[in-house]
Amino acid sequence: MAKTILLVDDEEGIRKVLGISLEDAGYVVHVAASGEEALRIFSKEHPAIVLTDVKMPGMDGIELLQKIKQERPDTEVIMITGHGDMDLAIKSLKYEAVDFITKPINDDALEIALNRARERITVRRQLREYTNNLEQLVHDKTKELIEAEKLAAVGQTVAGLSHAIKNIAGGLKGGTFVLEKGLDLDNRKYLMQGWEMVKGNVDKITNLSLDLLNYAKATDINYQLSEPNRQVHEIVSLMKHRAEEHGIDLKIDLAPDLKAFYFDPELIHGCLLNLVSNAIDACMEDDLESKAKEVLIKTVKAKGWGVEYQVIDNGCGMDEEVKEKVFQGFYSTKGTKGTGIGLMITKKNVDGHKGIIEVESEKGAGAKFIMRLPEGPDRIPDEI
Amino acid sequence: MDNQKILVVDDEPDMRIFVSTVVETMGFVSITAENGTKALEKARAAVPVLVILDVMMPKIEDGIWAYQQFKTDEKLAHIPIIMLSAIARKTFFHYIRMLSPQKGPHVPEPEAYMEKPPDAAELIKMIENLLANKT
Repeated sequence: MAKTILLVDDEEGIRKVLGISLEDAGYVVHVAASGEEALRIFSKEHPAIVLTDVKMPGMDGIELLQKIKQERPDTEVIMITGHGDMDLAIKSLKYEAVDFITKPINDDALEIALNRARERITVRRQLREYTNNLEQLVHDKTKELIEAEKLAAVGQTVAGLSHAIKNIAGGLKGGTFVLEKGLDLDNRKYLMQGWEMVKGNVDKITNLSLDLLNYAKATDINYQLSEPNRQVHEIVSLMKHRAEEHGIDLKIDLAPDLKAFYFDPELIHGCLLNLVSNAIDACMEDDLESKAKEVLIKTVKAKGWGVEYQVIDNGCGMDEEVKEKVFQGFYSTKGTKGTGIGLMITKKNVDGHKGIIEVESEKGAGAKFIMRLPEGPDRIPDEI
Repeated sequence: MDNQKILVVDDEPDMRIFVSTVVETMGFVSITAENGTKALEKARAAVPVLVILDVMMPKIEDGIWAYQQFKTDEKLAHIPIIMLSAIARKTFFHYIRMLSPQKGPHVPEPEAYMEKPPDAAELIKMIENLLANKT
């Protein structure tokens, strides 16, 4: 490419003489007698270097230079000027000609100018390659980084999971040991205890797999026009028994002025169930056996939101450290009883609704989970 | 060996039942406690020949605290302790070493350490070894 040159001059003699010496120097030479003709050839041949006279009838060399730089800025243009045309020479440099040579043309001066042009072309090409490489490099490294992050996330998930499963496996192993001793020694106490351990751990692994399945399911939000308070009644009838069993007062306080709006009742049901069962666990965890324990489910009409659910307990509460990590996957304070999946799914589903979930709590002073859902569209979003 | 008592300390009921069954079927009497405070009370009331102590009850600080109390109590310091823990042995020993200069008296390393979930056969062997050394 660097070896193609377009020579433009209105004087035929110069075209001939210069053309020959350029060809001798190894260039493929195209010639044009005017600016207009030069542009036509230029568009077709894309020469790397253009050597043009400044003064020509019609389109002059400066105009040609400008047009060439506009069309292909990488083209190197060398201007041929007359002896007295210093102004034009300077002007052409301003328009980014690589060099100028004066008539009568000295072969050495021509060679220097040509070398300069070719050097610029080479440097530019190298620079472009280098830049492209850089971009490619950045692209590759970014891809690697994302992969690594993905792997790290998977690693964390697997580590969390394997911990949960290890705990359950431990429980099952312990249970079967106790059960075996019961059989060996014909000891009813061991039989019963071992059996309970096995059953309890079978429940745990069932719940774990259900939780995982729920989490893995893409959250397709199935918007339905629903009453936010109805969710609370459903949860109470589900959890009343368990709360009573542990001497916990399960209370509700519902805003009367809540309108039905579009949300996914099934997903939000799951979220509330998770929050309420956590609240009950927190009450059971509390050491103060004398304290009257209660869980309160509230609905509030918060401005700009469809509903604000609050789940308030006066159980064990949590410190700052726990509060920070509470929505993280596989983080649990419940020892082998928790998998750390519940709140992770709840947050995922609330996020899916473009809602907000927050927690306020102090160690020993209970906890308050706040879940706000946006009023959302008047109709099912898919239909809009 | 009759009537020798072993104290089992764990906040998980399942683990208390399992470890109790192991020691009972070996012929010991098991005493259980679900936290460090209760464990110390029970140990002072009926001095056991061995303590099997969970490190995380539910946090590592609780188990370590109980362990420090045992090892710095004149009457209890001689009782061998098997540490039962969900954390790796290396991590735990490092933790003990790092803790000692910070928190009061130097605490010796436990006589034995076992990662959870405990294997019954291994636990039995460990108990037998520890108590054989004592006598």
